[in-house]
Amino acid sequence: MRREVRNRVVWLLAVALAAFAAAPAAAQERGITPSEIVLGTSAPLSGPAAAWGATARGIAAYLEYINEQGGIHGRTLRFIILDDAYQPPRAVQNVRQLVEREGVFALVGMIGSANAAATADYIFRNEVVWMTPAVEQEQWIGNPNIEYLFVTYPNYYHEARILTRYAVETLGKRRIAVLYQNDQYGDSGRRGVLDELAALGLTPAAMVSYELTDADLTVHVLRLGQAQADAVILYATPAHGAMAARALAQLNPRPQILSSFTLADPVMAVLAGEAWNGVIVPAYFPYPGTDEKVDQVLQIILERNPDLASMAFNALAGVSFVEPLLEGLRRAGPDVTKESFRDAMETIQDWDGELLRGISFGPGRRQGLNRIFLSQMMDGVPHRLTDWIEYPVEY
Amino acid sequence: MFFWQLVVSGLSIGSLYALVGLGVVLLYRTSRVLNFAHGDLSMVSAMTAYTLITGAGVTFAGAAALTLLAAFAVGALFYFLVLRPVKDATLLGQIVTTAGFALVLGGLAVIVWGADTKAMPFPLSRFVWYDVAGLRIDQLTLGSFVVACAAMFLLYLLVQRTKFGLAMRAVSQNDAAAKVLGIPVRRVLAVTWGASAALGAVGGLLLAPVTFVSPAMMFEPFLKGFAAAVLGGLDSLPGVVIGGLALGVLENLFAGYVSTAFKSTVAFVAILAVLLVRPEGLLGRKVVRRV
Amino acid sequence: MAQRIEAYEQEMAHVRGSAAWAGVVLLAGSLSLLPWLLPGYQVYVLNFVGVNIIIAMGLNFLVGYTGQISLGHAGFVAVGAYAAAHFVHAAQAWPLIVRLGGPFVWALLAGGAAAALCGLLVGIPAIRLEGPYLVIVTLGFGLAVQQVLINWPAVSGGRIGLFLPAPRIGPFALESDRSLYYLVWSTGALLAWIAFNLSRSHVGRAFIAVRDSDIAASVMGVNLRRIKTLAFAVSAFYAGVAGALLAYVMQYLEPTMFGLYESIYYLSMIVVGGLGTVPGAIFGAALLTWLQYGLPQARQYLPVVYGAVVMLVMALEPMGLYGRWLKVKRWLKSWPL
Repeated sequence: MRREVRNRVVWLLAVALAAFAAAPAAAQERGITPSEIVLGTSAPLSGPAAAWGATARGIAAYLEYINEQGGIHGRTLRFIILDDAYQPPRAVQNVRQLVEREGVFALVGMIGSANAAATADYIFRNEVVWMTPAVEQEQWIGNPNIEYLFVTYPNYYHEARILTRYAVETLGKRRIAVLYQNDQYGDSGRRGVLDELAALGLTPAAMVSYELTDADLTVHVLRLGQAQADAVILYATPAHGAMAARALAQLNPRPQILSSFTLADPVMAVLAGEAWNGVIVPAYFPYPGTDEKVDQVLQIILERNPDLASMAFNALAGVSFVEPLLEGLRRAGPDVTKESFRDAMETIQDWDGELLRGISFGPGRRQGLNRIFLSQMMDGVPHRLTDWIEYPVEY
Repeated sequence: MFFWQLVVSGLSIGSLYALVGLGVVLLYRTSRVLNFAHGDLSMVSAMTAYTLITGAGVTFAGAAALTLLAAFAVGALFYFLVLRPVKDATLLGQIVTTAGFALVLGGLAVIVWGADTKAMPFPLSRFVWYDVAGLRIDQLTLGSFVVACAAMFLLYLLVQRTKFGLAMRAVSQNDAAAKVLGIPVRRVLAVTWGASAALGAVGGLLLAPVTFVSPAMMFEPFLKGFAAAVLGGLDSLPGVVIGGLALGVLENLFAGYVSTAFKSTVAFVAILAVLLVRPEGLLGRKVVRRV
Repeated sequence: MAQRIEAYEQEMAHVRGSAAWAGVVLLAGSLSLLPWLLPGYQVYVLNFVGVNIIIAMGLNFLVGYTGQISLGHAGFVAVGAYAAAHFVHAAQAWPLIVRLGGPFVWALLAGGAAAALCGLLVGIPAIRLEGPYLVIVTLGFGLAVQQVLINWPAVSGGRIGLFLPAPRIGPFALESDRSLYYLVWSTGALLAWIAFNLSRSHVGRAFIAVRDSDIAASVMGVNLRRIKTLAFAVSAFYAGVAGALLAYVMQYLEPTMFGLYESIYYLSMIVVGGLGTVPGAIFGAALLTWLQYGLPQARQYLPVVYGAVVMLVMALEPMGLYGRWLKVKRWLKSWPL
């Protein structure tokens, strides 16, 4: 009898000791030590959205290069990637672990509007610097807590409006339809198309949604054909975009496809084949093969992580998330705190990085990017159609 | 016209659902196991074929043959290594075990092949189409339907017209009696598992040009195939064929005329409706339990 | 040293003898101290463990005791979560309630009740269906709930999901991990107490009778229809309360949190832990939730590790971890011979 009681006490003490062992270490300014700056991200490395995890890997490869060049003001950059499998509860847990246990100075990126919405409150309350969560941006407009948030990611809603305007005014299309994924990303596109058409005095020919798990989009495209759409605005993943393009190629007459910039990925030409010829796609930094600096960055990250070759587009996008952070750290100087970093970021005006061009922040301005340009894809090669097209700065 | 176009494409995708479902039913009939890893096995087969074609330069026919053989081997191996120790588990235990296996396969696929979407080089093209009676039918849609039907027909021949098929049917009815009669039950079961996996591989190869190759490619086709199997009756092979075709057409008609948002939900509601009236499925045998 | 059992109550008791009671008290004490010993983000994980334990206990009633399979349990959790969230939002309009003591107890009950109602509805076809056919119906239910939520912005909060205010007791808001921990774990303890007692009551025995042989059970006077729907309702109730707690822990809801994978995870928790036993459900939920949230950087390997753990446990110990624990205890008791 006594032995059982004693055994339980011993076991419980062991648990308590183990718990103490897991206590985190403290730092002066969280994430900044004399020798390193700690950065982190929560990204989908497994599960249905795992291809977007390449953004985090691209960042890691690029930071390796920066460290090899001596880091920033003598500090190396340590980047911690935690997998959230695109699930909000795990994203929250990752962010908390990064802040409370690893003590990161900044979070770079995040994939999934749901993940961003779930973690935003915690991140803002703890004044963690947050660079470019790659999500729809309505949630930042009018938000008073975004002091340490800096975004250089295109706005899906405004992009959709630009695409619609181009289809109607430049291409002369009248029956505009939108095929969109049934989530925040796709819905932003749908609203953009709807609002722009209303402003132009038109209504959409069709608005067809699909689910992320749908394996076949033939029916969806048949509906678009039934509505006799002459232009289709596409908000989809690469797989679904390719499925849609191939089905759309069979329609007679064949509609013009204008797609969100997420499908600027050169893999689309491989997946959709000749169906991708003629598709109009926006971009927010120059394509590899059209610009020396971009090609250099691509080479840098592929040298350090050759597995990224099949997901080069996503990897480059990741580098575009972290670029402004590095510039801010450079400008803040060796005695960097989050306040001095914020002030340094606010001095960025019309700045060109390796990938990004024309980025501006300022007191009260956290939207660094407000322009895109359109290209048309032919045999996997982009042909630039327009100059930079601007959209409103909203936060 | 719209209606017939929907029906045609519904039949084509339905035949692929039926093919997937056949693998599930074949297994369930013979060994009373619901294999939740069937979809991921098909996905791994498609990935393997992709690597053989693009990485090793094998022709499509060669890669397909090799993949089918490999799938057969993996299926039989899975039976020996994992299922036999868990043989006495309840239906639930089997579901969980095979679901665990599915998770492992999916996770390994992301690590080995990467999570990105790949295009499978395929001999049939979506850009070659035939205009028949006002309908536009592309080569891929037509070809998938034909190959799926051919596979089903071959399975029918195997099960109904060969001696081995007779042994399979005997084992499915009463494996103890089959054992007593000298039928090598373990061998039959291993071959059944292998055949089911090979069927899954065919399904995966046919679905690859439709859904593209990625670790999550079979998530929905597997669910639909499983649903088709239940709709048709889990111990009836012709049932799953009818169930799959019906499911494909029903889904397409609903999505075409009403809403694409609830396409899958309608499928399950329809199945529920059928099961309320006929709990054993369309062509299933009524379960009579001896007390 | 074995206890001498002298009365029927003693045999049916879950906790026997002063050593066992001391153990229970110590366990309760250490669980109460835990949030003071661990850093915040780990308490957050423990809150998830608590929520999943509740779900597992409920699912165990349905699957372990009554032998019905449910592959759509995430649907019940979702119903409970959203029902509670909307109840809270509606109650915010009544400042008296907010000031008096916050609606959170009522929110938990609302979540549980809404889910239980769904459970009753799903239980109806369950009366006629068995095995894989029931699997498909419950699978369809889970998928349908998720699909409806995705397409119904009024309920699911639209584009960015649904936010909740923190639960309140009078003027105090339960915002910190610690206070949420006590909320989750005290609810869990209460529900566990109910589960233990339900399992040894005549209802629990009826459940088991239906699982072991439903024809014999109905011959003995067990109303099959009532017991099967009751099993669904009770397990859905647990899932609903857990969903409400989940809503409070996350303070945010989104339909992707309640999909097929989650349903499979819940099922694997009770099977790995030990089917048909309440401690088994608790073990399995604790271990597998910790596995999901507690492993550090190597998390991209999580599906492989998780799947492998499940397969290994099923292959090596069909009775689950609790079954293995019982065997170990029995072996220890009989040593040395």
